[in-house]
Amino acid sequence: MKISYNWLKEYAYFYLSPEELADKLTNAGLVVADIKPVEDDYCLEVEVTSNRPDCLGIIGITREVIAAVGGELRIPDTDFETLSTKVTKFIDVTVEDPVLCPHYTARVVRHVTVRPSPEWMQKKLRCIGIRPVNNIVDITNYVMMETGQPIHAFDLDKISDQKIVVRRALDGEMIVAINGVKRALFHDMLVIADSKRPVAIAGVMGGKETEVSDSTRNILLECALFEPGHVRRTSKELGVFTDSSYRFERGTDPGGIERASKRAVKLMKELADGEIVSGVIDIKQREYEKKRIPLRIERLQKILGIEIKRDIASDILKRLQFTIVNEIDNFIDVVVPSFRGDIYREIDLIEEIARIYGYNNIPAKTSICVRGSIKSKYEVVEDCIRQFFIGLGFYEVKTFSIVDISPLQSVKLWSEQDALDIANPLRQEESRMRTSLLPSLINAKRYNVNHGNESIKIFEIARVYLAGDKLPHEKTCLSLLIDADFFTLKGIIESLVLHLGISLKREWISFSEPKLFRDERAAKIQLDDKTLGYLGEASRELGFKTSFCLSELDMDFLAEKSNFEKRYHPLSLYPPVFRDLAIIVDEEVLWTSIEKCITATHISFLKGIHFFDVYRGKQIPAGKKSVAFNLCFQAEDRTLKSEEVETAEWTILDVLHTTLDAELRKL
Amino acid sequence: MLKKTEKVKRDLQEEIRAVTTLKDAEQLKIKYLGRKGIIQDFMKLIPALPAEQRAEFGQQINALKAEAANFIEEAIGKLSREAIPKVNNEIFDITLPGKLPLTGKKHPLTQTIDDVKEVFARLGFDVVYGPEVELEYYNFEALNIPADHPSRTDFDTFYIKNDILLRSQTSTVQIRVMEKQKPPIRIIAPGKVYRPDTVDARHSFMFHQVEGLLVDEGVSFADLKEVLNQFIKTYFGKDVRMRFRPSFFPFTEPSAEVDISCSLCSGKGCSVCSYSGWVEILGAGMVDPHVFKAVHYDTEKYTGFAFGMGVERITMLKHGISDIRLFYENDIRFLSQF
Ligand SMILES: [Zn+2]
Repeated sequence: MKISYNWLKEYAYFYLSPEELADKLTNAGLVVADIKPVEDDYCLEVEVTSNRPDCLGIIGITREVIAAVGGELRIPDTDFETLSTKVTKFIDVTVEDPVLCPHYTARVVRHVTVRPSPEWMQKKLRCIGIRPVNNIVDITNYVMMETGQPIHAFDLDKISDQKIVVRRALDGEMIVAINGVKRALFHDMLVIADSKRPVAIAGVMGGKETEVSDSTRNILLECALFEPGHVRRTSKELGVFTDSSYRFERGTDPGGIERASKRAVKLMKELADGEIVSGVIDIKQREYEKKRIPLRIERLQKILGIEIKRDIASDILKRLQFTIVNEIDNFIDVVVPSFRGDIYREIDLIEEIARIYGYNNIPAKTSICVRGSIKSKYEVVEDCIRQFFIGLGFYEVKTFSIVDISPLQSVKLWSEQDALDIANPLRQEESRMRTSLLPSLINAKRYNVNHGNESIKIFEIARVYLAGDKLPHEKTCLSLLIDADFFTLKGIIESLVLHLGISLKREWISFSEPKLFRDERAAKIQLDDKTLGYLGEASRELGFKTSFCLSELDMDFLAEKSNFEKRYHPLSLYPPVFRDLAIIVDEEVLWTSIEKCITATHISFLKGIHFFDVYRGKQIPAGKKSVAFNLCFQAEDRTLKSEEVETAEWTILDVLHTTLDAELRKL
Repeated sequence: MLKKTEKVKRDLQEEIRAVTTLKDAEQLKIKYLGRKGIIQDFMKLIPALPAEQRAEFGQQINALKAEAANFIEEAIGKLSREAIPKVNNEIFDITLPGKLPLTGKKHPLTQTIDDVKEVFARLGFDVVYGPEVELEYYNFEALNIPADHPSRTDFDTFYIKNDILLRSQTSTVQIRVMEKQKPPIRIIAPGKVYRPDTVDARHSFMFHQVEGLLVDEGVSFADLKEVLNQFIKTYFGKDVRMRFRPSFFPFTEPSAEVDISCSLCSGKGCSVCSYSGWVEILGAGMVDPHVFKAVHYDTEKYTGFAFGMGVERITMLKHGISDIRLFYENDIRFLSQF
């Protein structure tokens, strides 16, 4: 809210420069975002939090200044002389919906002269960015800015049959707004109507047909209370947000209506030569009951962690215009003023005291006990994985979880179910929860290629969202992208798995997802017969010049299976014997069959089988390939004799020959 | 026999001492170790020996062969090291750049989250996580933000359907933890949050927050100040000043915004701090009794504080980054700077 420095000073004496004032307000919780000199005044932009509608009037802000620096609040008096004719002679008001309109008042001012308002008023309005219109309109704005209570002036002579009805709109009813736009009303909106038509949308705005013009002579002044939630819904449905709706939807002061109404008609008498008709139409659902809250000083000290004496607490509350009914020992009995609808509990009073006492006067000290914190296994694994990939030269990326609806983004790696869509997206590009991180990594790659980084290694750890019963299943994935071939990335993954202490059986099963992976160059990785993830060369359809590889792994599964318990194995005292072998097999024979075949020999001192080369060429018959590998033999209890190793070698070659038709390749 | 092998060894050592060029050394290698060399000639004698001497002599020859090979290789190595500069006149340029191993980097936001976790781990806070796709109840009602409340606009939300939304704040995790666990509680909850903001230099529809919560008997606002003080001094440096301002959050009472002195202008005022000398870094407060009621805690017995900070915001402040979009473009030139 914008306030004028000079205007504020009319309600209290204080010796603060605009900057000092801004500082005091900021420290009391009303942040002054900007100070601008305007003519011979200053305009302060105050940020008012949604719980403090009382500060949406300059008097409300003055109360805060007084609470901070002391002094006396000077509220303009509202006494005036009236005509003897009664208001009921000119207007009849019916409130049909007392829930949405718990309090409605109306006054009448006759024989006004509509003309520009005096310079002092125009100046103040200009300072806070309100365009002066004429004296009547300016007075309604002026009083609203002063008190925080919106008021509305109708041209009384344009109200049909001198009747006002506060009711719900009828289906199909229209209103011409002040800006001339015709608007359709919905049946649950609250309107102010005359005998024929709606003349205002309650709490939101008035209608064009009954607005004050240069020819207006008689004024009907409305000052009322509307139900905040309803004003809010109406304003939202119509897409109309006004100074009035802004205040009503936050809750106006139920005790401030009479004063605002009187203040306005008094100004109309003074500035528009109006004659105030006697009395007021005042339709009230019930009397406003002031809240009474006991405050325990002990509780105050416990919450704030500081000794604040009772007299200090009660003094702060008094400066905030609270009434102290009684104070004895450790209790203060407080009555809350009507404009503080946000205060209804002891804790709310404690906050008020803390706020004015000054948060910065509460010392920072702690007596909380020492407590250890233990990293969860997931945390340990995540840290370990990050370090692993950083060490290998991978950069960690972060990409958006909300993606577009392209087929690539809807890839179903982890679930057959459809992806979750956002009901109210901002843009098409961000309207679906992702089911895989890989499309985002591909985009990151594309971004880098376009910016001169042809070759990258990146990874991301983040969640994917898979449709579930009520809430979706949020699976954490680890995804990798590297400018390298299939076996490089496969090696990295194998190495990661070992690094995490996972020794479970792994299987690589051919897998097809043409949107992501190149055909026949992708695998599903099984760990302990469950899916650990996917690996493959990126699909050519993605449109990159060079080939690269992608992988997405189930982080939760990795974390679950990780094992950081290390047991020492005694080192063998006897030397290992290495043997290189090359065999010629049919093209169809896979390495895994060769490996299985060799392990099936169950040679107790065979310690390792290490593949090192596949060769196809002149010396190898067509349709065949040469596969070379290294065998490691080592016994725990003796030095192996060369005959033992030789026998083992022949056993292996024998099995390879009978099972896979393998021949030893002679070099 | 032994004498013969000993003599060969002595001859070899003498000849090696005399060698001055690489070429001569190679000649020596052929003479002793070649296929028709001296040692090979010894081998040919073996079959003629009596059976019981064969094994022993064989071992001697093998030992001699190994020793000879060692001598000669050593000589060749030494000569070739000496030979290079002399032959080519080359200089070993130690100022040529080293071969840098490629290492990666953690994303700057991860670095911030890790720093925050570490500070709070020392104070006994455990790390917990909660769902990002969340029930409306946890994002609003349980946090004392009823429907139709004007403060709801401060937490504008993406919806999946009626009562399911993308959380707009990590405070949701507070409720989930307190529902399951009785005090004492010390947790921090890092994670992604979502708000339908149009993307620009300062806004992103997805960003990260870290939420903190401490609940116990006798926890006060002074404790909150000290805990945050420790965090701020550790993360931003010990000369940084801290300021608490009253504010409003539906789930804390009293509520505060916490500012730190602007490090760019050391509090004198610049464009980063909008000429105020202060920058806002987190929101905090004492847990509102309504929140405790939602999880059936005794509000007289327990008190607590909560705080929440924007990870992007503090990372931007710490490193002087002016555009939030850089975090999600993942340009390696950007990522490699942290
Ligand atoms: Zn600054």
